[in-house]
Amino acid sequence: MAKTITITFILAGLLAFSAHAMAQQPAKPSEHDHQDHSGHDMSQHNTAPTDHSHDHDAMDHSGHNMAPDHTIDHGDHSDHSGHAMSTQSAEHCDGHHHHHMDHDHIMDHEGTMIMGQNLDKLPSSCKSISEEVEITVRAGRKYSAKFPGTAFAFDQQQWHVKPCAKVTWHFINEDNIRHQFMMHGLPKYLYKYGMFHLEVTGPKTVSGTIIVPGSDDTFLVHCDISHHMEKGMKAQLVVGKGAENIPSIPGVTPYNINDTYEAENLPKISDKAEQSAMVRQITAFTNNNFQNYGMMLIGLLIGLLCIPLFKKIPFRKKSG
Amino acid sequence: MPIHNFIALLTFFLLTSATIAQTSLKLPETIKVDPAALTAEPMCDPKISPAWREAQEIDGVKIDASPGCSPDNPAWIAAAVKGTNNISMDTLMKTGLSPDAIIKTDDLDGDGDPDRIIIKLEIMELNGKSPDFPGLVPTFDIAPGIQPGAWVFAPKTSGMSTENFESVRANPLLRLPSPVIRVEVGDIVQIVLENTHYFPHSIHLHGVDHPFSHGEHGGQDGVPQTSEMELMPGERRIYQFQARQPGTMFYHCHVQTHTHLAMGLAGMIVIEENKPNNWLQTLNIGAGHVRHPSVAVREQFDQEYDLHYHAMDKELSGIIQKHNDPRLIARDMNQRYDITDSTEDYFTLNGLSFPYTLRESLIIVEPDQKIKLRLLNSGGELIAVHTHGHHATITHYDGVEHNPVAQIMRDVFDMAPAQRLDLKLETVNDGKHSYGEGDWLFHDHREKGITTNGMAEGGSMSSIVYTSYLGEHGMPKVSHFGIDLNKYFTKEYFERRLPVWQDLDAWSSLGSPAGQAGFDTTTQTSLLNALYGLLAGLLIYLIFAKREQIKQCAVAAVSRLKSPKGSNQ
Repeated sequence: MAKTITITFILAGLLAFSAHAMAQQPAKPSEHDHQDHSGHDMSQHNTAPTDHSHDHDAMDHSGHNMAPDHTIDHGDHSDHSGHAMSTQSAEHCDGHHHHHMDHDHIMDHEGTMIMGQNLDKLPSSCKSISEEVEITVRAGRKYSAKFPGTAFAFDQQQWHVKPCAKVTWHFINEDNIRHQFMMHGLPKYLYKYGMFHLEVTGPKTVSGTIIVPGSDDTFLVHCDISHHMEKGMKAQLVVGKGAENIPSIPGVTPYNINDTYEAENLPKISDKAEQSAMVRQITAFTNNNFQNYGMMLIGLLIGLLCIPLFKKIPFRKKSG
Repeated sequence: MPIHNFIALLTFFLLTSATIAQTSLKLPETIKVDPAALTAEPMCDPKISPAWREAQEIDGVKIDASPGCSPDNPAWIAAAVKGTNNISMDTLMKTGLSPDAIIKTDDLDGDGDPDRIIIKLEIMELNGKSPDFPGLVPTFDIAPGIQPGAWVFAPKTSGMSTENFESVRANPLLRLPSPVIRVEVGDIVQIVLENTHYFPHSIHLHGVDHPFSHGEHGGQDGVPQTSEMELMPGERRIYQFQARQPGTMFYHCHVQTHTHLAMGLAGMIVIEENKPNNWLQTLNIGAGHVRHPSVAVREQFDQEYDLHYHAMDKELSGIIQKHNDPRLIARDMNQRYDITDSTEDYFTLNGLSFPYTLRESLIIVEPDQKIKLRLLNSGGELIAVHTHGHHATITHYDGVEHNPVAQIMRDVFDMAPAQRLDLKLETVNDGKHSYGEGDWLFHDHREKGITTNGMAEGGSMSSIVYTSYLGEHGMPKVSHFGIDLNKYFTKEYFERRLPVWQDLDAWSSLGSPAGQAGFDTTTQTSLLNALYGLLAGLLIYLIFAKREQIKQCAVAAVSRLKSPKGSNQ
């Protein structure tokens, strides 16, 4: 519980800061209307709003363009990041993380979330960015159709990028529920908990950018909603030649623990082909009887063949 | 020489008979389990901040004190009262809720409270199988080490399903029971079900005044045979109603109800009277103490508690721990599980069994108080809740007020499956309402109801505790009677490995006896092995000694077989 509390405190601090940052946005001349809207929304959370009537009738109107906006927004703020980094190292000792995640965690009023984004901090193993790629990831129940025995899936199960690549992910959730694009195992000095996390209630898109490390590695990508990963929503990002494969990715790697399957006695059309119940009964009866009598016949033959053998042994004894 | 041998044999025989005589004189020793060998948990989870217990005000929401060990997170209550759209970002981040989990807007009748309420629920699995490692995920213990597979309606959350990436324990918002929902008469309520689970589900609003079909949203009685199709994974459905009658009601999934309800897709829904400025605690996560009661309840009562009784069958809950493939789970649940042959094994109050009920579901009272208890039985059998030391008055059956003149007092409250009772508990020490202060048990008086998988003490029992009997960390004060509850906070107790009565006296007269006197099983087997070795040795010696004879016999047999077939003629 203590952990959760600290984490929530940290997030709260960061959120307050990012809300503040966003509330300042409208002052900039280059702002989009969209940015205005979400900035307004966030600041409303801080004051006491009277009415959110737009919330109840529109479930998904706050902007498919939100993510690109944020990308621009972060570009504008790149000068701040250096500052944020230095405060981080200073504050780290005190156990206060209030400021260093200001660009790391962004959330709108519907819970669309970008966490652990990294636009410009080069991993120590990289001298420069090797390539800039954009990858679109679709998430939804329908993508599980090609993997029997799963319930949710991404449209692809693995992606390949070069070491030191700057990757912008466009995460399209096509279901009407929440899904996540959560990546684990990234270097912790750049990504809090080693995580990069996009989350959105669909149908809607959210985008975020990371810079991958300079060595060959394989990173887990999954949706952490209860049993979404276990039921198929799992993939991997292969950097360069990659490292060890991650288990139980549909169509890519086998499960560590497998279920046992057995053939079911399901009704078949061929059962029906023998038209009447009477016919079926008779054939079943004869089939059964044939099997029984057949086995008996085989037994009888074996017995007959063995008779000379049995006969011999006692006679020998006598003669012996 | 023969005499020497004889004497040796005789001494050996005498010695053995002496040992045998001695062992039959003395029965096996008592073995006392060392408490250090147990996986002990603190009685009260130390991770919960004591500050949560205090009366406080968050974002203008007054939250009553809740002195028990594990009170609700006050931020949850603030969010539930104001709506996640009306609280500060700081408070919201302390809840873990999605910013659109509870949306409250539009004071339509101008009485000072919001009348458009949107509640978003997701469906989460607890203690299910993983294809990656042998354990369960995300875990939720109803008692120490007891992790039945379950499904719950959960308020829409944000972020991970577990506490963090290293932990497999469920996020505190994902828990049994499904949350208690509170709305007002006349509110335009939308319950938005976002099916995050891998099976189809629905919501049936049992007892709540709701239209069978809604113009925009279609059929909404939750029944796949009458009003609507099953809500498939990844889909969303809105259930909208404007209730005209107050009362304690029930909501549950109506898809394959005989299994889905028992799996945990069942919760209490309370329709409160319409009063001015009635900001309700829309969700009571984990049920139990209501720390921000409605205006109507505050007018008549000092306190309010939601008590949700439930029961689970371990064969049913085990299905999601046996298979990962949803097709196999569906087959085992829908075609193979036979509820008519089933027995209930786990009995819970507000999602937990004793001793965890002491952490969350104590009814903590002062003398001369009036307390409103709302009871729901979502188990499959009739239960009989008995209150020690008190008679309470039944004021409502199934949400409908009983004729005030005809209301009766009882100390056993029988509740059919799906039934709700509203009780008025008065802590007046008159020998009838209350016999005075104490730590008074209340429990299902079907005796299996006080067991966990047949192991007592467990099940749904809890206590009505007067504050004078409340000890540190909000647990009942019992040590002055010499009572030690620590043994119940070990998983070994519920694994049936701890002799229940071993600590009742200094020499553990009712502790566990050691194994059979003489040899234990391992020495027995090694001795037997030695005997087999001896026999084998003897056999080899015999073969060696008689090798000439054996050779002869073999030659004779071979020659017999080799001789011409007609030799017998």
